[in-house]
Amino acid sequence: MSWIDFWIVFVTCALTILACRVLPLFLLKGKQLPPRVEEALGYIPPAAFAALVANDLLTPGMFDAGFWPAGAPLVASVVVIVVARLTKSLLWSAVAGVVAYALLTMI
Amino acid sequence: MFTREDISAAFKAAVPIMLGYVAIGVPCGILSASIGLNALQVFLMCALFYSGAGQFMIPNMWLAASPVASIIASVSFVNTRQMLYSTAFAPWCEGASKRLSFWFAATVTDESFGVNLQQFERGGWSVPKATLVNLCSQSSWTASCVVGVLIGNAIGVPLAIASFAMTSIFICLLVTQKLNVANVVAALCAIVGVFACKLVGLSGPAIFFGALFGVACAFVFSRIRERA
Repeated sequence: MSWIDFWIVFVTCALTILACRVLPLFLLKGKQLPPRVEEALGYIPPAAFAALVANDLLTPGMFDAGFWPAGAPLVASVVVIVVARLTKSLLWSAVAGVVAYALLTMI
Repeated sequence: MFTREDISAAFKAAVPIMLGYVAIGVPCGILSASIGLNALQVFLMCALFYSGAGQFMIPNMWLAASPVASIIASVSFVNTRQMLYSTAFAPWCEGASKRLSFWFAATVTDESFGVNLQQFERGGWSVPKATLVNLCSQSSWTASCVVGVLIGNAIGVPLAIASFAMTSIFICLLVTQKLNVANVVAALCAIVGVFACKLVGLSGPAIFFGALFGVACAFVFSRIRERA
């Protein structure tokens, strides 16, 4: 990532998160957000994390080169799901994912 | 502004967050190094952006060759949930000075939100103490990420491995969400949305549009269920 790209991404993202963190506190002054807005905001984490995972794992025509190249990450993901549900730990999930992925791609 | 008692109470409350941030911050630094970010860039991100999910998303989307505009839109979209936290803290900040309230609000994260809200509700908590919890957490996050960059530079993690570590982190964040029907609809529709975007050649903004589609579907779904 070049310095220019870095500055654009960093400054813009820093400003939007600052606005989301600070503005409601000063503008709403203790009033509630509209319930519909609050509900929609609540759906963002599951939708966004699912979109990120799907973007990493799924591509049209992913099995064109045979099952394994795209299948190995899918199998490793199942391992991660189990570890994540059991431990609820980001660190253990990352470790389990990397180990499973490395072993599966060696097959 | 901060008394001795504030500092010791805040530190005690912040320790679990600080330890958790070491465990996530070091990998975050290693992954940031894998896309060529240096220690100064990572330090700036931790000091002025300070978002765990965001700091994982930026390297991840960069590796997936997402356009800069898509990275910004997706990261900002995910971070709009901070508005919920900001709203929740407003009543507790009424007596505090504007400058301190600003500082406090600007350094809230998912984890410190949970800890501070619990303390405010329990009583005997104050905005200075809550701000100190945030600052302790941020210091731990910043130090851990910078150490991670140095480790990453020293060992040189292969990109495929680094990239799957990020995928694993998102999987963990996904499966530890509250499991209710509307959230499942949001997640499934987001997955369908991402795939559909890629099918029509919109792989750049796929994450943003996919997530937006997921939120819209869950919203419509719960309206329909209300009526039924």
